[in-house]
Amino acid sequence: MRRASLVVWVLALGLDGCSARGTGSVPAPELPELDGVDDAFGSEAQTVRFLSQATFGARPEDAEGLTGRSASRWFLRELEAPATLLLPRVRAARAAALRAEEEDEELEFFIDSTTDAFWKGVLRGEDQLRQRMAWALSQIFVVSNGGGELLTDVPEAVAHFEDLLIQGALGNYRDLLESVTYAPAMAYYLTYLGNQKADPSTGRQPDENYAREILQLFSIGVVELDAGGRPVVRAGRSETYRNEDVTGLAKVFTGLDLDFAGEEDDASVGAIWTRPLVVEAEAHSLEEKRFLGTVIPADTLARDSIRIAIDAIAAHPNVGPFIGRQLIQRFVTSAPMPAYVERVARAFDDGRFVLPNGSPVGTGRRGDLTATLAAVLFDVEARRVPSSAEPSFGKLREPVLRLSAFFRAFEVGEVEPIGFDLLLDSSPVGVLNQHPYRAKSVFNFYRPGYVAPGTTSGAAGLTAPELQLVNASSVPGYANTMFEVVFREGREEGGSEEEEEDDEEPDFDRSVAARAFLPRLEALQDLSAEDLIRTIDLRLTYGQMSDSMRSALRAFLNASGDDLEPVDQVRFALWMTVTSPDFIVQR
Amino acid sequence: MNRRSFLLRSGGLGLAGSLARLPLARTARADETEDYRALVCVYLSGGMDNWDTVIPYDATAYAEYERHRRSFLSAYTTPRDPSTLVPFAAGDSFGSRQFALPSEMAGLVQLYAEGKAAIVGNVGPLLEPVTRASYADQTARLPSRLFSHNDQASTWQAGGPEGTTSGWGGRFMDALSSRNGAAEFGAITTGDNDLFVTGRSTVPYQVSVDGASRILALSAMEEDFGSEAPAWLEVLRQHFRPEPGAGRSLLEQDVRSLARRSFDANALYDRAQRGVPAFQTLFPPSDAGAQLQAVARAIVARSSLSAGRQVFVIGLGGFDTHSAQAQTLPMDQAGLAGGIVAFQRAMEELGLDQQVTLFTASEFGRTLAVNGDGTDHGWGGHQFVVGSAVRGGQVYGELPEATLGHALDAGGGRLIPSLSVEQYAAPLGRWFGLSPSELELALPGLANFPSPLPSFV
Repeated sequence: MRRASLVVWVLALGLDGCSARGTGSVPAPELPELDGVDDAFGSEAQTVRFLSQATFGARPEDAEGLTGRSASRWFLRELEAPATLLLPRVRAARAAALRAEEEDEELEFFIDSTTDAFWKGVLRGEDQLRQRMAWALSQIFVVSNGGGELLTDVPEAVAHFEDLLIQGALGNYRDLLESVTYAPAMAYYLTYLGNQKADPSTGRQPDENYAREILQLFSIGVVELDAGGRPVVRAGRSETYRNEDVTGLAKVFTGLDLDFAGEEDDASVGAIWTRPLVVEAEAHSLEEKRFLGTVIPADTLARDSIRIAIDAIAAHPNVGPFIGRQLIQRFVTSAPMPAYVERVARAFDDGRFVLPNGSPVGTGRRGDLTATLAAVLFDVEARRVPSSAEPSFGKLREPVLRLSAFFRAFEVGEVEPIGFDLLLDSSPVGVLNQHPYRAKSVFNFYRPGYVAPGTTSGAAGLTAPELQLVNASSVPGYANTMFEVVFREGREEGGSEEEEEDDEEPDFDRSVAARAFLPRLEALQDLSAEDLIRTIDLRLTYGQMSDSMRSALRAFLNASGDDLEPVDQVRFALWMTVTSPDFIVQR
Repeated sequence: MNRRSFLLRSGGLGLAGSLARLPLARTARADETEDYRALVCVYLSGGMDNWDTVIPYDATAYAEYERHRRSFLSAYTTPRDPSTLVPFAAGDSFGSRQFALPSEMAGLVQLYAEGKAAIVGNVGPLLEPVTRASYADQTARLPSRLFSHNDQASTWQAGGPEGTTSGWGGRFMDALSSRNGAAEFGAITTGDNDLFVTGRSTVPYQVSVDGASRILALSAMEEDFGSEAPAWLEVLRQHFRPEPGAGRSLLEQDVRSLARRSFDANALYDRAQRGVPAFQTLFPPSDAGAQLQAVARAIVARSSLSAGRQVFVIGLGGFDTHSAQAQTLPMDQAGLAGGIVAFQRAMEELGLDQQVTLFTASEFGRTLAVNGDGTDHGWGGHQFVVGSAVRGGQVYGELPEATLGHALDAGGGRLIPSLSVEQYAAPLGRWFGLSPSELELALPGLANFPSPLPSFV
């Protein structure tokens, strides 16, 4: 049923189904060659490894085009890449829905538009560094449209929020925190939309939700940290705030509401959720506001109160190590050494970082996210290939990143999630146990401090956030999903009964959906077993596939030649690889 | 040999029907002499509002309650007023005070009247008894990070803030694991909250509401080839059932070990579930109903799973009602109560109602003061304990008045708990079979609180 209006969808987006492939995929302009100190792209394997950390995955042409070039210059070029945004696609989807005759089906379709835009952005966007940083930030500043409530029904709200993160991803932390505070999606999600000052006559108090979470999750955390991100241990309290700080700060976030701008009809409801919140002056508390040692005097108006509060929060010494450590976890390693966190926090605090080729990045202002991200990616801990003497280095790729890495490594053609039902709701434990912008709560898909019980990493006291998603249901669930991904074929070649029923939809153009998310495997099926293994190793495990995994693939390929078509041998080898520890753990 | 084409592809995975059926599991009804006990924790994520669950019913107290909650009290579909609330007999210790549950939870009042459900009032995380004075002048030792969701959830389940590594459900199992023939299924979660059922040695098994998960293509091919499995299929099987422990990094070792453990446990669980007959009792289509039905099905298969003692945890969301409380809470409470009643009836059907005890937990209650259309994070809250072994039809502990400024008010109607989580947990552990010394080990803070323990079970 969902597919009935694909034509409208596709036309609205200006895609004709054959334009996306190949455009913009060749690096331009040419990057200068290596100068010796800047060897992140020193070999194809190193290039793929770097891009696995820094982007949604390396494409084959990236490995070819970037190897031997300067990663510093690549980083600088990424800073200039225009941002790929979600709102234009979501707006087009609403326009299509409004034009549609069969309203219900169109609406159902339209509600999936944030998912559609996410996958198009991360697979087709040429601003990979920015997209990946926004994705990391979305796991700190969490909103979710998985609740089936207003944020689901009005996809513009979360699209606008994602765009804020995409646009602010390489900007300044303090500015981003402020724009997040004024975002309608966040105000709805953390319930300060329409939040009112206290009313002594009824006993009503300001909503404390945002005041608490902005401190606990978005900025400083609950305990004092040293520069390396370790909790400060000393006699007496080392907690960063008390409940009195929360109730004091809660007064700051009163009086914010949607900017209706006089519009209240169906066509404009989306627009209302894309404008920064406005102040309802009479709802804002004019009491004195005390928190974290800051005192905002009585009679301070809303915008001034918020500015002062954001300044105070962003200036707290915890922010650098608190945010820096989480960014390291998202890009490079789950349990970073304190010295690594400290170097990243210093880049955050100084607002500057010098790339390996000597180019400075960052504005010099505290909280510069470009400098912070550069410090994460170009740190010696991230760049040197870990030896077996460093068993604690690395991270699990989260499910969304496993999928994106596979899609990019094998050059899927059309990326119409509408053509691949699994992607429209990948939250269930039997699918990916993760869906973009659909965490179960503001505490994200997993916690940065998660230590997995009953594991060797847990016994060593190492944090491993992504392991929180791994259990007896999700392990087979992921394998089953990747089977469908790897064995996906064009629908022209025959479909199941279920798909035959879809044929009855007279206005459904199946041509695009039929080609959506098909991996390009033709060139692989003629390779010898050894060459196939080498190719898979380069693209998925950046040349670090273990001997035991190679042996398993070799054994499989050698034993199955009589039984399986070559292309199926390739598919099974890919399925084995994407379900192996070698791929799931990024080192 | 011919080249095979794979039917599995493109959605052809609906193979469950063709899987071989094992002989029916032995009769579901319990043997009178069977040594089996289970604890089932129903964890309510977000902090269920104690004030909007156990509601004052006598006219004076209701009027006071109404005054505090007026701003959204009119917004409930079914009004929360004496005309629809369902009263229950709280007992002599409450004098003339009367209480009721919302109409959406009428089923729990029925169980209460049957003596199969008790209410335990004002339970919450404490390190030692706290008074309003010792809270106000900061001389009380307090659990760290009060009022924070994740930390109080962890404190409830495990006795310490986020990062604590074992929960008391799991530690109960640690003490009694020798009663089980196999360790895999002593602790089971249907979703999150695996911390509660993780012990120092107990590792929880995760089951979905649909039962054990399998790697469908592998199962289908093994089924298809039967005893003539080719060598490559064996390679594939070994890949998905890897030798545990190997790997260049700790995380690789963990991924491999978890894959192995999952594979074996799912296969065992799947086999145990074959032929389990449907219950006569109908479970409601709520989240609670689905998860509790999965628990009930695991209990049916207990002997195939070699389990003589089991701890379960299910998780329900939606209780963090900062906003739209009147619109969302009743539905969640209806789902909760309906699920619990069905579960109790299913246990009665199995003849296991004396041997299975269910209880609720939630990271905190909420403020009595409102913030417009919702409420904020509190501290103590009221819990339900259900089962035929429960000394039901009574309220244990305190139900503080719906006023501000009383001796248990930490501000805004956040209740200073008058029973610690340990005092709530200990009777459950004792019933489960832990000795006093085992209880102390599983609940390290217990000795800081006065005895005797509440005697609800």
